[in-house]
Amino acid sequence: MKFVPGPSQDAAEAVLVYRIDAREEALLLAMLRLYPALDNSHHRISQDPKAAASAEQRLLEESMAQQRAAHRRKVEALFQGPQRFFKEVLGDRHLVLTVPQLEWLLQVLNDVRVGSWVRLGCPDLEKSAPLNLARASNRSLQAMHICGEFQLALLEAVK
Amino acid sequence: MPETSVPITVPDTEKEQKPKSKSRPDRGYLVICWNDPVNLMDYVTHVFQMVFGWPKARAERHMLQVHQNGKSLLVRETFEKAEHYVHQLQGYGLHATMEREE
Repeated sequence: MKFVPGPSQDAAEAVLVYRIDAREEALLLAMLRLYPALDNSHHRISQDPKAAASAEQRLLEESMAQQRAAHRRKVEALFQGPQRFFKEVLGDRHLVLTVPQLEWLLQVLNDVRVGSWVRLGCPDLEKSAPLNLARASNRSLQAMHICGEFQLALLEAVK
Repeated sequence: MPETSVPITVPDTEKEQKPKSKSRPDRGYLVICWNDPVNLMDYVTHVFQMVFGWPKARAERHMLQVHQNGKSLLVRETFEKAEHYVHQLQGYGLHATMEREE
């Protein structure tokens, strides 16, 4: 998937266009089907252990649950009407997003990436230690990397 | 998520002025972003720009603090605003918390 720069537009009305092939489109939709991947209980309001039972912690979990429900509705709408997002232009397949759509898509893909990482046992990817593949799910490993690639491709538009 | 023993400090360039009167809200809550090995550097920079409206250079500076020091103090705020920022950052999947300044 590759960003196709267009003429400068007002950020509120900007449309972002990405060239995407059929395989990438199928992969992107497969990743979105994994959403949500993170539990609401994953989030912590504070490092202080005493905060784990606080009203603020409950509020954070409720807020994340509401956001996931809202994003889930957007993902389902995308599946019901993929033609709203994927267009055929002169033989090329394009993913067309507004700026708000880009933001929720980034959040959804990151949720799947982080959720997959949690399922793998939170390995330290920066130390290149070998993953315990006996425990790791291939699906989670692939989803983590695929979502990361889509995130980087999407972010090309805002660089 | 690895823990770090790096003390919480406020960068000189972002020190807040002391309140001029007791009626001003208590900005004693620190919003801190912690390092994790899964969030991508470009993504973290983008999130800081979106949540705080920072220019890219400032967002990148904080992203690098997170990456290199294990954490970055993003803002010192009132309880309500700090909570709001933490909700936004966690909505993007970052490991961010609010801590009472000691």
